[in-house]
Parts: sequence; structure tokens; C-alpha cells
Amino acid sequence: MRETVKLISMEGFEFVIDREAAMVSQTIRSMLTSPGGFSESKDGVVTFPDISTTILEKICQYFYWSLQYSRGKETEFHIEPELTLELMMAANYLHT
Amino acid sequence: MTSPLVRLCLEEACKSGVAVERWRLQRRSLERLPAHLADALLRHLLRRRLLFPSLLEVFKHSVENIDLRGESSINAEWMAYIGGFVNLLSLNISDCQRINNSTLWPITGLTSLTELDLSRCSKVTDAGIKHLQSVANLEKLWISQTGVTEAGISLLASLKNLSLLDLGGLPVTDHNLSSLQALTKLEYLDIWGSNVTNQGAASILKFSNLSFLNLSWTSVTHAPNLPHLECLHMNKCAVISISNHSSTLASLKKLVLSGATFSAETKAFSFTSKSSITYLDVSKTSLQNFSFLDTMTKLEHLDLSSTAFGDDSVEFVACVGDTLRNLNLSDTKITSTGFEILSGHVPRLETLSLSQTFVDDMSISYISNMMPCIKALDLSRTSIRGFIQQQSPQEEEAKPSLAALQSLTSLKTLSLEHPYLSDIALSPLSSLTGLTHLSLRSTSLTDSTLHHLSSLPNLVSLGVQDAVLTNNGLQKFRPPLSLRTLNLKGCWLLTKDAVVGLCKRHPHIKVMHEFAHESSSLDQNQLLPRSSPPQSLAKVARRKSNQRPGTSVAVARSFIDQRVKYNREELFALQDLPLSRLIPQEGEFVNVPEILGDLVSHLVIQ
Repeated sequence: MRETVKLISMEGFEFVIDREAAMVSQTIRSMLTSPGGFSESKDGVVTFPDISTTILEKICQYFYWSLQYSRGKETEFHIEPELTLELMMAANYLHT
Repeated sequence: MTSPLVRLCLEEACKSGVAVERWRLQRRSLERLPAHLADALLRHLLRRRLLFPSLLEVFKHSVENIDLRGESSINAEWMAYIGGFVNLLSLNISDCQRINNSTLWPITGLTSLTELDLSRCSKVTDAGIKHLQSVANLEKLWISQTGVTEAGISLLASLKNLSLLDLGGLPVTDHNLSSLQALTKLEYLDIWGSNVTNQGAASILKFSNLSFLNLSWTSVTHAPNLPHLECLHMNKCAVISISNHSSTLASLKKLVLSGATFSAETKAFSFTSKSSITYLDVSKTSLQNFSFLDTMTKLEHLDLSSTAFGDDSVEFVACVGDTLRNLNLSDTKITSTGFEILSGHVPRLETLSLSQTFVDDMSISYISNMMPCIKALDLSRTSIRGFIQQQSPQEEEAKPSLAALQSLTSLKTLSLEHPYLSDIALSPLSSLTGLTHLSLRSTSLTDSTLHHLSSLPNLVSLGVQDAVLTNNGLQKFRPPLSLRTLNLKGCWLLTKDAVVGLCKRHPHIKVMHEFAHESSSLDQNQLLPRSSPPQSLAKVARRKSNQRPGTSVAVARSFIDQRVKYNREELFALQDLPLSRLIPQEGEFVNVPEILGDLVSHLVIQ
């Protein structure tokens, strides 16, 4: 079975994604892999009180796109201009 | 560290005016934007020509650094908006020709402003300085080559927090220097081209924290003995003395004396054995005796280009060669004989220029055997022919000499601009797979060289100038994926259609040729990020590089004031890049910033 993690948005929406995909984010990676420290590494659940559902969904899409891209599938990742500001801030926070 | 998604967002946000309209009303997001993202967004907009005065409004809470240098459109309206940037830390409006005293008025209210660059805003005069007096927190101020006079300079004494002051090209007087002594925090003073004399230079001693001093193009003949001075420039000065006492200038690390004249050589270089100098530039001087070098045991960078240096002086370099990383011997009298002696004593050398010297093919084997760390090599216009003549008459064929370069695994940049080098002589180059920058210039080269070189997988810039390239050859040319610059200047056989076709087939490559039409959009993509990276050191380095004449970043020897030749972005890149000293040919400089292109854009998004 593939390992998954759960990402929870500001509004409480839950996104269950592959652990591998979530690891695209350096921030999530350190949360999930840091020994002992974070409860996230135990439960595989990360809550983002500052990231809205729309943005978190986009972030998850990006994780999968980024995995595919790194495997040589060179498609374009489309971002709606109205999402750019919030997405930029989330990406900055997530180091992705 | 770059976040790829941040980069994608920036690009998407600045794709078009329509895209901008779709986020510009998101006021709350804009106010929450972290400063470094806001700065990056502003910079992207500017680069994409999407920035206009009223759009500045949305950034007024978030932006901390604005870099508008060279933007001719910046006028009073822009400045009125910028006056509302409550958190602004640094503003660069150098070379903005529409800036005058009254357009500076709005920034008087910017209490957070600590850095202001007005270099070469020629309409700024003493009245503009009066406005600046109310920006009490200013720490760094650049007003070189503005219209400010002696009276205006005296007003600066009230800006007590100044640690950096660039007055290059202004009529600074001795009297000014004594009135500026109130600036006790001053660490960096640039007064090149001023009216300062030895008397004024003596009063510089009062600036006890000074670590950088540029006295180039002044009548100062005696360097002040400042205890903390680390960097001293006295280009084109008639130097009589650098050090009066053996204990002074103990901190000096960088000494730039390009083009200086010496009336009493030995006195000028009375350094103690503890000399801390790591960087010495005495290019274009009349020095005959290089024995002073033997005290400089920490030397890493040495520029002796265009001096009387020759085989008989090699021993002096050899005795300090252990630490040397960069050595410029271009346009000297050194031959392969002297170079053979030298080659065994410079094990750490990374950058070497022997252009315009008499070294021949033998020198290539000395380099490849004795200098394993070489990264950048300039062998243009030497006596190298590409073949080593065999001693024994039985052997018919001459041995190609350039093949020896293969053992230099670190070699990235190579310049071999030489009219006599042929296709066959250069054929070993195609195995130098580590090369990122290659510059050739020879009328003997044909299509076959171009095709051989296309197999170099890491090539970022390639120059094949003055060659007999044909349209057909160009048509068949398959450039390596990494290639960004292709210099085909002087390839006279190419037609306009062929060159334009090449540009169209490879839009990401900047082609340089008489027929290459450089679209403005392409140009903009080629530019480095216009703002400086957040690292203050890098910033200082950039500043240093763009305001003094005859800086130490050695380039074509005929250029004394490098601003004539380079724009600020390029200078910035050149300053940090040891390789840059190797690229003396006009037209090649665009290659160098691109090495840093990636690096800088990483820094910018941080």
C-alpha cells in the first residue's frame, strides 16, 4: 500500500495525497521526517491554518505535477492569475 | 534558495497587463505579501514593462527595495507614489535622467530609507541634497557624477548615520573633507576624480573606521595611513608613497593602482613582511622592478597586465605563487621560457590570462601539467599555433598542442581568439566537455569547427568570430541545449536570412551578428535581475564596481573607465567573478553575466 499523508486547509478541508508528493515541499518534508519533534511525523497529518482550500488544492496539484516533471514529463503547470499572490505566499512558506 | 513554484507564480502574475488586472485589486493579499516576494514581483513587473506609476500604489506597504536604475521613464509621478512606501529601505534610481531636485522631494518623508543611489542623475544638484537632509536614517548614499557642488557636499555632514558615501566625479575639496568629519561612522568613501589634494587626504585620517577608499584620478600622492583600511584605489595617481611607516595600512587587503605612475618606486611599496594584501592590481603602470612582490605572501589576485613584466621578473611571482588564484599577465613580455619556470610555482591558480604575450604551444603543456585547478584560461593573441613542431625530422605530422588541455578537468572558460588557428588545430577542443564558455576568433575557421563544437554539452556561450561560416553550415548547426549566447560577429559570408533563421529556430539563444535583430523582449529576458541580491556583501561589491574609473576588474586595456563598456548589471556580475578578468574582447562580456544569471535569480527570490 502506498503511504499517504493528510493536509488540512484553513477551512478544514482534508487532502489525502501520496507522501512522496507531499515531500516536494521542503517544509512538509522536514515536518514529516524530523525525528520525534513534530506530531505530524507520527500521524502524517499536517494542518495549514493560513492556507485556503483553493490554494491548498492548487499546491497538491503542483506536487504531482512537479513529480511528473522531474520524471521527464514536461507539461506546463497552469496558474490562474488571480491565484498567483496567495499561491506565491503559500509556496514561499512551504519551500516548494 | 529558489522556490520553483514562487518563480512560476511570478511569471504568471507578470505575463500580461490582463493578468496584472486580475490580481491588483487583491489588496489584502498584497499587504500581506512578504517583502522579498513583493520586491521580486515589482522587479518582474518592471522587467516585463508592466509597471506604471499608479500600480506602485499596491506595493506601498510591502516593498522594501526598489531598483529602477536606468529607467528613463521615472519622473515626478513615479516618485510621488514611491514617497508613500512606508517600509522602503533602499531605492536605486541611478541613471534615471528625468530625476531632478524637485522629483526628489517626495522621498524626504521616507523615514525608513537607509540606502539611496542617485548616481549619474545629472540634474540633481545642491538643492536636491537639501531634500536629502531630512532623510535622517540614510546609511548609504551614492551621488557620483551628479550636479552636486562643493556647497552641497558640505550639507551631507548632517547625515550622521552615513557609513557609505560615494562622491565619485564630484568637485570634492579638501575643505569638504574636513567638514565631513562629523560622519564618524563612515566606512566607505569614494572621491575619485575630485579636487582633493594631499592636504585633504591627511584629514581622511580622522575617519577612523574607513575600510574602503577610492582616490583614483586625484592629485593625491601619499596614501593616508588608515589603520582599518582594507581596500585602497589610487588608479591614475602619481603615487609617491603608500606607506610611511611599517606599521600602517596593516589591514590592507586590496590595492588597486592601475595606471598609476611612480616617482619613487621602492618607497611606494615599502611593505613589511607581514603584508596582508590579497589583491594587487598594478596593471598599466610603468613598474620595472617587481621585487616588492616577495613580501606579499598572501596574494591571491595579481594583475600585472600591460607592464614591463617579463621572463626576468618571473621569480618574484614564483616566490609568492603558492596562494595565487588569479593571475593576469596579458600584454607583458613573458615567453614560454619564463612561463615554464613560473608554472611550477602556482599550484592553485584558477584564472590565468596570457593574452597578447609571446607564449607558444609549449605553454599549453606547462599549464596542463602544472596547474590542475585552472578554471579559466585566456590564450588569445599569443604565439600559439595549435601544433608542437616535432624535433626529429622523420616525423611528418606536427602534434596538436591543444589536446593537452583535456587533463584540465576544471576548465570552464577558454579564450583562444587568434587569427592563425585553424580547424585542425582546434579539433581537440571538442573533447573538452566541461567547457561552458568558449571564445574563438579566426579567419581560418570554417563550418567544421562550428559542428565539432556543437558536441560540447555544457556550453553556455560560444564565440566563433571572423570565421568563414556558410549559410549551409549554420542551417545544419545543432547547438547544445545549454547554449544561450552565440557570437558570430565578423562572419561575413552569412546572409541576413540565414542569421535571422537561426534566431528564429533558437529563440532562447542570443545571436550576435551584424544581421541579428535583437528584439527588445529577448533582450529583457537576457537581463540579469535588476535588483541586487539581499546579501549586503554582494551589494557592496557591486557598488564598488560601478563607480570608479579604472576598476580592478581588468578588461580591454584601452578602456580606462569601464562604465564606458559595461552596464551596471554586467559590472555587478563581473565583479564577483574571477573568470571575468579573462575576457578582454569587446562583445564577450555578455557571456559572463549569464554565468551568474542563475545564481543571482536564486538569490533574488530568497
